[in-house]
Amino acid sequence: MGEICVVIEHRKGEIRDITFEMLFKARELCRAFSHRLTALVLAGKDSGLANGLAKWADRVVVFEDDRLETFNADLYKDILNRVIQEDRPFMTLMGHTSWGMDLAPALSVKTGLPLATDCVDIQAKDGRPMVVRQIYSGKLFSRVSFKESPGYLITVRPGAFLPPDAEAGSEGEVVNQDMPADLAEPRTTFVEFVDTGAGEIDITQADLLVSIGRGVGEEENIATIRELADRMGATLSCSRPVVDKNWLPKFHQVGTSGKSVRPKVYLALGISGAFQHVAGITGAGTVIAVNKDRKAPIFRVADYGVADDLFKVADALKEKLAGA
Amino acid sequence: MDVIVCVKQVPEVIDADLKINREATGIEKEDLVMHINDWDNYAVEEAVCIKEAQGGTVTAITIGDDESEDVLRRALAMGADKAIRIDPGERELDSFVISKILAKVIKDLEYDLVLTGVQADDDNSGMVGIMLAEELGLSHAAVVTGVQPEGDAATIRMELEGGLDEIAKIKLPSLLTVQTGINDPRYVSIMGIRKARNKELAVVELEDLGIHEDHLTPMTWIEEVFIPPETTGAEMIEGDAASVAAQLIKIMKEKGVNI
Amino acid sequence: MIIPYRASYWSIVSVWIFYVLAALAVAVFVFGVISHVSVWSRGARRQGMGFSGQGVFNLFLDGLLGRRIFRGDVAAGTMHFLILWGFLGLFVGTVLISADYWVYPFLKGAVYIGYSLCLELFGLMLTIGLVWALIRRYLQRVTRLERRIQDLMVPVWLLVVVLSGFLVEGVRLSSQRPEWGAWSFIGHGISLFWSDPRAVLSVYPYIWWSHAILSLGLVAAIPFCKLFHVLAAPVNIYLEGQPDLPIPAETATADEETFSTRQMIFFDACTRCGRCVEVCPSTGAGESFSPREFIAAVREDLLLRHDPLKSLDWFARWSDSRKTEKPDLDPQMVWHCTSCRACLEVCPVYVATPKVIERARSRVVEDGTQVPPLLSQTLEKLYKYNNPWEASKKNRAKWSQDLEIPDLTKTGEEDALCYFVGCTTALDTRAQDLARSFAWILTHAGVPFGTLGKNEPCCGDIARRVGEDGLFEEQMESCLALFERNNIRRVVTSSPHCFHTFRNEYPTCQALRPPDEKVHFDVRHYTQVIGELVSEGSIRFEKRLNIKVTYHDPCYLGRHNRIYDAPRKVIRSIPGIELVEMSHNRANSLCCGGGGGRMWQQDLDSKIKMSEIRVREAADTGAEIVITACPLCLIMLEDARKTASLEDTLRVMDLNELVVMALGLQSESEE
Repeated sequence: MGEICVVIEHRKGEIRDITFEMLFKARELCRAFSHRLTALVLAGKDSGLANGLAKWADRVVVFEDDRLETFNADLYKDILNRVIQEDRPFMTLMGHTSWGMDLAPALSVKTGLPLATDCVDIQAKDGRPMVVRQIYSGKLFSRVSFKESPGYLITVRPGAFLPPDAEAGSEGEVVNQDMPADLAEPRTTFVEFVDTGAGEIDITQADLLVSIGRGVGEEENIATIRELADRMGATLSCSRPVVDKNWLPKFHQVGTSGKSVRPKVYLALGISGAFQHVAGITGAGTVIAVNKDRKAPIFRVADYGVADDLFKVADALKEKLAGA
Repeated sequence: MDVIVCVKQVPEVIDADLKINREATGIEKEDLVMHINDWDNYAVEEAVCIKEAQGGTVTAITIGDDESEDVLRRALAMGADKAIRIDPGERELDSFVISKILAKVIKDLEYDLVLTGVQADDDNSGMVGIMLAEELGLSHAAVVTGVQPEGDAATIRMELEGGLDEIAKIKLPSLLTVQTGINDPRYVSIMGIRKARNKELAVVELEDLGIHEDHLTPMTWIEEVFIPPETTGAEMIEGDAASVAAQLIKIMKEKGVNI
Repeated sequence: MIIPYRASYWSIVSVWIFYVLAALAVAVFVFGVISHVSVWSRGARRQGMGFSGQGVFNLFLDGLLGRRIFRGDVAAGTMHFLILWGFLGLFVGTVLISADYWVYPFLKGAVYIGYSLCLELFGLMLTIGLVWALIRRYLQRVTRLERRIQDLMVPVWLLVVVLSGFLVEGVRLSSQRPEWGAWSFIGHGISLFWSDPRAVLSVYPYIWWSHAILSLGLVAAIPFCKLFHVLAAPVNIYLEGQPDLPIPAETATADEETFSTRQMIFFDACTRCGRCVEVCPSTGAGESFSPREFIAAVREDLLLRHDPLKSLDWFARWSDSRKTEKPDLDPQMVWHCTSCRACLEVCPVYVATPKVIERARSRVVEDGTQVPPLLSQTLEKLYKYNNPWEASKKNRAKWSQDLEIPDLTKTGEEDALCYFVGCTTALDTRAQDLARSFAWILTHAGVPFGTLGKNEPCCGDIARRVGEDGLFEEQMESCLALFERNNIRRVVTSSPHCFHTFRNEYPTCQALRPPDEKVHFDVRHYTQVIGELVSEGSIRFEKRLNIKVTYHDPCYLGRHNRIYDAPRKVIRSIPGIELVEMSHNRANSLCCGGGGGRMWQQDLDSKIKMSEIRVREAADTGAEIVITACPLCLIMLEDARKTASLEDTLRVMDLNELVVMALGLQSESEE
């Protein structure tokens, strides 16, 4: 029986959502191929993470050591390489996250196994995986296949596979492993975490968010949208490009490297809908998108859409509210 | 501090209408304007800033046809000292092959730091940088938003998720993949590019590098490119701005927002 | 009877000391002048320096008579005239008396009396002028005049010199008491204070030497203080007639100074009169920019870099060091200018600040790190997509999609009239109305024309204005190649900016090409074409439009190209129209704030937008519509009308739209 390995991602003592998403998808694949599902935990001593995972996998392999408490590319790469060489899993899944982006490509070279990143779907064809991933900033999708290999590495897009809340599960066995004795000294040392999202306004608490993206064009146009937000009693937020240009401070940013928000209504103005942004609004009640481009990806995920110039709509909203 | 920057020329797609080519394995590039990958532009700026602060050299490298020399000239105009273009001929490339080729060329050069962008705007894979690091046996970090070289190490800042950043110390020589927003790339004027024509731009043929055929065979490839099917998607509201505004206000009130 | 004469050096001993001091003063003076000239010579030589009749003419009118100083301020003109001629007269007088002493004694008899009288008059003129100057600056406190230490010391010093001169004369006359003394009426008057000639005699040498030393000191000081303008300004005025040689972007090396020799002279010619500050729209909008400050900052920077003494203007250095810290030359300063040319219009000595700014910008752009990000993106769009608005070429011809206008790049027609639409007119939704209107007008008048369709490049104006000379050259090459390939010889533009660039900049840049490679074409602005059509009768206005309108002169049509009347004629030929003028019109029209690249980076620390100031001025005339003839003005004023809450009182229309309205070509009413 083959094996599918899922590398568990955690931070500050908590397992991150991507882990469960991967385990859910991997379980589906394991059922299809009669493979065994193994969860790989690399964590700090006495992390306690393994316990929560037992019902999600057939086997939970645990490496616990102080050196592994925070992600370290060299150590994780070394250990995972050994596991893969020994167990020869069919597929190894990692999250396409900051961790995954640092780990997976290096692991691919070290193990000599092929890799596809940021995948939004995984299937198998003729005994090999076939993945679907986005290209050209999300405007198009591609189906990618692999060269025949003893194993395959895949990083998974966070939020691509949404597991149901409860997992009727397995009773996985937990296997504690010893750290290899001959691990090389890591070349990176963790210093500290810094929370850049802290700021005067907490956009995660807002009921109504008016969010701006590249479509706003110039910094001075933000003022007119701010007026709209004020008139609506809404909080202003934005997508990444606005913060990159220093038009708004980071605590306004919605998205994977910003905040996840869950307002009752999210009004996206001039936001194209790049995945990294959309990932931050999955919890929103209703998403209303305004974008000049009818083909903008945001319209795939929004509940309501307006294909028009955002300033026209903003002005009209202000007028209606002033009159009402 | 000698820095190598890997850059890529990609089509500008943000405002463009993309058309899938006939074989459905890619897009029609004819009407598209080519430019330097946004992430790589930040990487070049970072490399030049490091050079301006600490002295040393910056070398820009790309794999591409002669049109891709434009991005090298741009890097030279920004402040790079020399550039290398590797001509791949008709070869099919994937991230694996690209990293093997770059490694072959770079391993003979002298450097303290290699910078690449986190990902390229065409395939959005984000693999070449870290693969290259492993090929060269360098320490590595991804999604870097700050670099401070200090002697034989560097203090770096990496962007994690949810607004969290990590500060770490990494031993040099190292490869870092650079995230957008790390700096403010300077404007490159036509004059600047013209003046940079005096700087060295070497061209190397892939076939002359003596890379083993196995390493030039892609490990993944695109079977099909497609536009995602229209799933449920948004309910579009049509009409002039005034009526649209009225409807939006109605919807928002219905959803429980007090405006 | 003794023949009237004057003994030189009367009662003065050790005259040789005077000559030594004089030699010293002259040496210092010459050294100072040479230092300045050496700074000038560091300029990139882009100016022809030959003989120019126009130059001599200007020198006479502006240099000697001070014609431009009178403009807008007759008091200033008169005051300066008095000072200039008073000083010149006395200077010539000194030369004559030296000639009389050293060469041939001709100053005697009636000649001498005439001479004395004249000098007296000149001295009086100078005195009156100086006192008037001090009154203007310190009692009336004219706003545009500065009150630095130097501004006080220089006129006071001069005044002391001239008064001490009278004193010397008076004392001498009180002792000599010649019969003809009364001709030197002022000295004579002064002499009446003393009755005892002997008492005076002992004092006289002291007074004489004081006057001598003060005068020589003044001469020596000229190159080191604001007085240097008396030498630099005439040079500049003379050179105004000379054409600027083209600036091929390639030749400027890193070591070469950004500015041409002529431009280097500007900085010394500036008299700090402040007229430019009064008319600059950026200053008027409360921004942190004024042409005078900019010129001063660049001057300081140049002197620091090139002058062996590290700053010739020791006076300025000494006196200004008492002020608060001098700001460094901040690269961000260069972005405020809209290149409206109002400053050059009023500058008495022809300091072309807009050109200086353009050159300074080219350095900043080349460096790249101080370019505002929005401008950076705009230039990238221009480079990739031939327009500064959209990141795509596909919409260039969209404005005309329902109009069936021939595309001259496809028809191969020879000698057709090419309507060069321009980036802004083609792509901005408001400005597109201008293009459509003009197309209807030409069709109505039976004038065959075509456009360049989707292939129309940018004329390069914006690249040139913000200092991206390389990009400008590329756009120009594109345009010229397209014109040549399609045999385009007659061009009419929507935008005065395109018009100006085609008419004035392209020929200069083409001057370097060999004759057979030059592309010749004739360019007009649409106001000229419509004007012609009206005068030849192809357009006849039958409908009466009983409305009051005012006309806003676009900077690039008006001040830069002197086209003020053609558009007014067209407006006035519409029956029923009442044309009223705004308080700033024609050559002193106020800039809308869109030029010089400002359209793409508008609000720089302004207290009120330039366009708002203008639109309020339009509203103040009581006009219902403000007519303009430039797409940038149209957009700027249209936006300003909204932000100034004048939407119900004032409309903004382009001249084309007015003509269309008058001809009844479009039945739908506007807005």
